[in-house]
Amino acid sequence: MPIEYLPVFLMVGAVSILALAILFVSKLLRPSNPYFEKNRPYECGVDPWGQAAVGLFKVQYFLIAILFVIFDVEAMFLFPWAVVLDEIGLFGYIEMFVFIFLLLVGFAYAWAKGALEWES
Amino acid sequence: MGILENRFPDNVFFSTADSIINWSRKSALWPETFGIACCAIEMIATGCSRYDLDRFGIVFRPSPRQSDVMVIAGTVTKKFAPVVRRLYDQMPEPRWVIAMGTCAITGGVYNTYAVVQGSELVVPVDVHVPGCPPRPEALMHGFLLLQEKIQKSHVLRRHDPESAMAG
Amino acid sequence: MGVPLYCTKIAKRFGREVEHEGHSHGMHVFAAPPSVVVDLCRFLKDDPELRFNFLSDICGVDRYPQTPRFEVVYHLYSIPLKWRLRIKCRVDDPPRVSSVVGVWKTANWHEREAYDMYGIVFDGHPDLRRIYMWEEFEGYPMRKDFPLRGYKDTYNPFGEEKTETSSSSLSDDQDNNSSQPGEKR
Repeated sequence: MPIEYLPVFLMVGAVSILALAILFVSKLLRPSNPYFEKNRPYECGVDPWGQAAVGLFKVQYFLIAILFVIFDVEAMFLFPWAVVLDEIGLFGYIEMFVFIFLLLVGFAYAWAKGALEWES
Repeated sequence: MGILENRFPDNVFFSTADSIINWSRKSALWPETFGIACCAIEMIATGCSRYDLDRFGIVFRPSPRQSDVMVIAGTVTKKFAPVVRRLYDQMPEPRWVIAMGTCAITGGVYNTYAVVQGSELVVPVDVHVPGCPPRPEALMHGFLLLQEKIQKSHVLRRHDPESAMAG
Repeated sequence: MGVPLYCTKIAKRFGREVEHEGHSHGMHVFAAPPSVVVDLCRFLKDDPELRFNFLSDICGVDRYPQTPRFEVVYHLYSIPLKWRLRIKCRVDDPPRVSSVVGVWKTANWHEREAYDMYGIVFDGHPDLRRIYMWEEFEGYPMRKDFPLRGYKDTYNPFGEEKTETSSSSLSDDQDNNSSQPGEKR
């Protein structure tokens, strides 16, 4: 690690120490008085109503998020592979297609099971 | 309350520290826009360019979670009183309340079956600004009085309610 | 200025039940009994020569101590022909009248207001509940026997004392008293 990066590390250190010091002084000085009414979710002053409040939350949002994470990581693997494709040659090419095929099996499973349906 | 609050004697070091803390609290009073009725129009006019409130550091915030002061501008009806109370409860401390207009102070001209006779019956109020509606200069004066009250308050120093009443 | 078309048409069709009560502020006033008021309204709206397609307002009136005590007043307006009309319907105590929601959809909230303020019940209304006061409120504020300042509670200490005859309070506990909007403290 070249020594020219030392000012950067000093800057990062100074910023962190400053932020922590400010937050620490704030913590000492600010009042802390939590009670039940104060901790309730804000809903313009009325009683919470609607699906998210009661807990009837649309689970499709969660499924879409999980599938997105998996396929996003797969796409992330494709980037360095594309960069070094010249060096790993045909063998590396076929290897990546095996990887994509395994994930395609998972995709087909999710599709067949109805995870991509929006209306339940 | 806070870790260092209400425990130190009244000497020059802590009174200076208190004045710095109070100066920073009063110079950035963020009100919650709580315009209920006609006084809201005057509050909006006070916030606009002719009678600017932004020069006092007053920025209107839409949520009670981000605000210091609640300006009750308008008639508080009995149906709405629990909402006022809950929004007051959802403001983080330190918090203050300005009752703007005679309806918020005592129910105004409406001594009827549906109007709360004063928001004092619902939330604790710090500054009353009379008028129907109060002129923008009157509301600014109310904010300045609140700033004076904040400047005199004891944060680190020990509060003593009896001496505060006498002083 | 002759007699307008709607006067003659109403007299021809509903002459026995509906009577013409006069003329004020450019509006002719008709008095209809509660049994015929919905038919009258539907006739006024559907007739191609009259076309009273806009219901301006439904008011309630409390004429205590006269009997019949209550009155429901309908204000109609014909947008294409620019005519205004007022229909008064006297009802006894306790007041019940048929709803005109089937004729004009806007009657929904006007009738809720008349119910909330006077206690006039509209038969056939899809959603008759209070619109100004909170759901648990007892009493009908615009009646002549309801005090102006309401009954005394924590929000209005100038109200009148609640007596046994004025309302049926279930308990003495101030927090459970339904004179305050429901809130869990």
